[in-house]
Amino acid sequence: MDTMAAIKQTFFQECEEQLAELESGLLTIEREEGDAETINAVFRAVHSIKGGAGAFGLDELVRFAHTFETTLDGMRSGKVETAPQIVRLMLRAADTLADLVRVSRDGGTVDAARVSQIGDELAQAGGAQPAPAAPVFEPIAMSGDQQTDDFGFAPVMISFDDLVGGTQADGGQNGFAISFKPKPELYAKANDAIRLLRELRRMGEAKIRCDFSEIPLLSELDPEGAYLSWHVRLSTSGGDAAVREVFEFVEFDCDLSIEAQGLGGTDASLAVEALLVEAGIKESAPAPAEIPALAPVPRQTSATPPQLAAVAPPTASQGAPAQGAQQPSATIRVDLDRVDRLIDLVGELVINQSMLAQRVMEAGIARLSDVAVGLDDLEHLTREIQDSVMAIRAQPVRPIFQRMSRVVREVADMTGKSVRLITDGENCEVDKTVIERLADPLTHMIRNAVDHGLEKPDDRVKAGKPEQGVVRMTAAHRSGRVVIEVADDGAGINRARVRDIAVRKELIDADAQLSDAEIDDLIFAPGFSTASTISDVSGRGVGMDVVRRSIQALGGRITISSRPGQGTTFTLSLPLTLAVLDGMVVTVAGQTLVVPLTAIVETLQPKAADIHSLGEKARVVAIRGSFIPLIDIGSELGYRDSEADPLQSVAVLVETENQSQSALLVDGIIGQQQVVIKSLETNYGQVFGVAAATILGDGRVAVILDIDAVVAGTGRDHANRKRNAA
Amino acid sequence: MRDLMPGLISLPSQLDIKAAAPLAAELLALRGKDLTLDASAVEQLGGQCIQVLLSAAATWAADGAELAVREPSAAFLEAAETAGLATSDFCTRNN
Repeated sequence: MDTMAAIKQTFFQECEEQLAELESGLLTIEREEGDAETINAVFRAVHSIKGGAGAFGLDELVRFAHTFETTLDGMRSGKVETAPQIVRLMLRAADTLADLVRVSRDGGTVDAARVSQIGDELAQAGGAQPAPAAPVFEPIAMSGDQQTDDFGFAPVMISFDDLVGGTQADGGQNGFAISFKPKPELYAKANDAIRLLRELRRMGEAKIRCDFSEIPLLSELDPEGAYLSWHVRLSTSGGDAAVREVFEFVEFDCDLSIEAQGLGGTDASLAVEALLVEAGIKESAPAPAEIPALAPVPRQTSATPPQLAAVAPPTASQGAPAQGAQQPSATIRVDLDRVDRLIDLVGELVINQSMLAQRVMEAGIARLSDVAVGLDDLEHLTREIQDSVMAIRAQPVRPIFQRMSRVVREVADMTGKSVRLITDGENCEVDKTVIERLADPLTHMIRNAVDHGLEKPDDRVKAGKPEQGVVRMTAAHRSGRVVIEVADDGAGINRARVRDIAVRKELIDADAQLSDAEIDDLIFAPGFSTASTISDVSGRGVGMDVVRRSIQALGGRITISSRPGQGTTFTLSLPLTLAVLDGMVVTVAGQTLVVPLTAIVETLQPKAADIHSLGEKARVVAIRGSFIPLIDIGSELGYRDSEADPLQSVAVLVETENQSQSALLVDGIIGQQQVVIKSLETNYGQVFGVAAATILGDGRVAVILDIDAVVAGTGRDHANRKRNAA
Repeated sequence: MRDLMPGLISLPSQLDIKAAAPLAAELLALRGKDLTLDASAVEQLGGQCIQVLLSAAATWAADGAELAVREPSAAFLEAAETAGLATSDFCTRNN
């Protein structure tokens, strides 16, 4: 059962890839940049999902994919136009397909009405009758040109009566030349060639010829081998897909070629053949040398091989798949645990290397000695290994961006707005964990952008803007972080209204003096929601405060900028990885601490004149005209009882995620260092003011400060102290 | 498979995948003698058993001996026809 579960898991992973492929293909078609190959790719994606789903008995998925595939096939053959509304329907169908995949994997339910509605729309678009609820597919009209169609869908259930009953009259018969050579695996998997041939016979009129020239004498015969091959000429009202479906579960266990016998000569089938070979869907045809051995050869095959040889060189042996025909994708699937284990080990290596370096220094070995130089090289290598290992976890943000295009479509549908999503920088790579945890915040931001950011179409026209709003999502690497921007070209933040609401909700005082940026920032305040009614779209109890918190939890920050009438931009700045951190190593009361470099604005030596007492214990330092609270890390974290003397200390000016600044008093600065993050929660437990720990070169454990917690903690502490004093 | 008389054996009813190896072994043991296969009881005939029977016909022909199939059942005939074969393909000469 485990093997089965593993296979199923792989199937779902592949589904994700196919769905991404499907969506990106459809979006390309939507932008009118697609060509025949794009449509092919889209078709293949749906077809693969259907195939896999069939193997696992996921009937609902198969049924929907089948209907989808049919319409896509119509698109391939040019019967269905790639009109905008059709492509939009396809995109919605892709969303539904994704839902069905998700439900098949995770359980739960889908909106059956929606599925069947989209199914009906698809069927209509494909020129067929809506599919009935039962897993039987209405035949779609087959035209003559269908015959050259390699992927064409045709109904599976063909009754013989239909065949006799007049489909021939309207020219609905397709001819196929099928070559089929089972491999031993086919039989080993309890399939039987005879059963498959019987299926073909049921589809229509089949002329079957068996080639048993390869059968050895009984003494040489492996009873469980496979020596027979068959050539079938089939005349059926079904399409290529129906023929292919017969072989659906044995396609890897046999050499198979299915050729439509075109009315207009071999060129079309040749092109299709070449296309298939190129796409790696099909193995190349048997080597021409073998053809003469086959007695009465079907008309088509005898004409094809010599020409085919020019297009797609046949493989050396018939049994070997034409691997050269498809550029093998140079990727492997690796269990994430293994990668993480590797990252952990490399982290240890980095620590070990710096410990070794320190020992060598302590041993008084000269800087230019061979040992020290060798160690430098080792350090370079270690860094390179670390970077490379980190790169394994890095993945492009593309999938998540693609998911957002769906969100935009849904919200646009619900709000009646017309929206175009423009994405840029999809290839930007970020740590997998970061990507995974970005999905929810980004979804919410995109919803907000469409729902609250963009005006209604009428209002846009009144404001002299195009009716269609634009949401732009970009990703870029900037100084060791990844920056994601979500921008809309809407009306911008209505600051007066935001202010009113904040006052009404008692988030600020009525007479508070706030800058524009501070007002914009109120959007992130817990409990703030600007929508006057809770809409179906954004009002789901998740505010921007949750978005900010989840971004902060990733070690990122989110900022907002808005220009009235021109739109709003949210900017996310995220670390590339959660495994290493650039930190400033400082000492406090004999302890070594690490302050995340991203939080640090500057460091300075406070002067007596700049230090002011505020109330009982609080002190502030004047820096360029503003007063910044001084936080004594030593007493705050309980390293010492007495307050540090600011004049003997170094102040590290830090900025918290909500953009407030504080000055941390430390005893001294050791230097900057990249440290490997070790979770304290996993290995010990949560400690106030500590984000994580690391192991330094000298083997000592140093804690990494959680700046936000420390700063917030002092505020609370002071408030408590004040209350206690009162 | 039962020996009905010297040179005549009855094929089992289920000539499926599992039957191929025993059938091959049985036939191989009878190699060199004229042989008639009674196919009247065959209810199922699969691809691999067809291979064995075809191989036997070729082997018998190579040995100059005679192999024949008699009274093929409807199932046998249907399977053979589906495979694009005639009963004569299983024999060293037309019967």
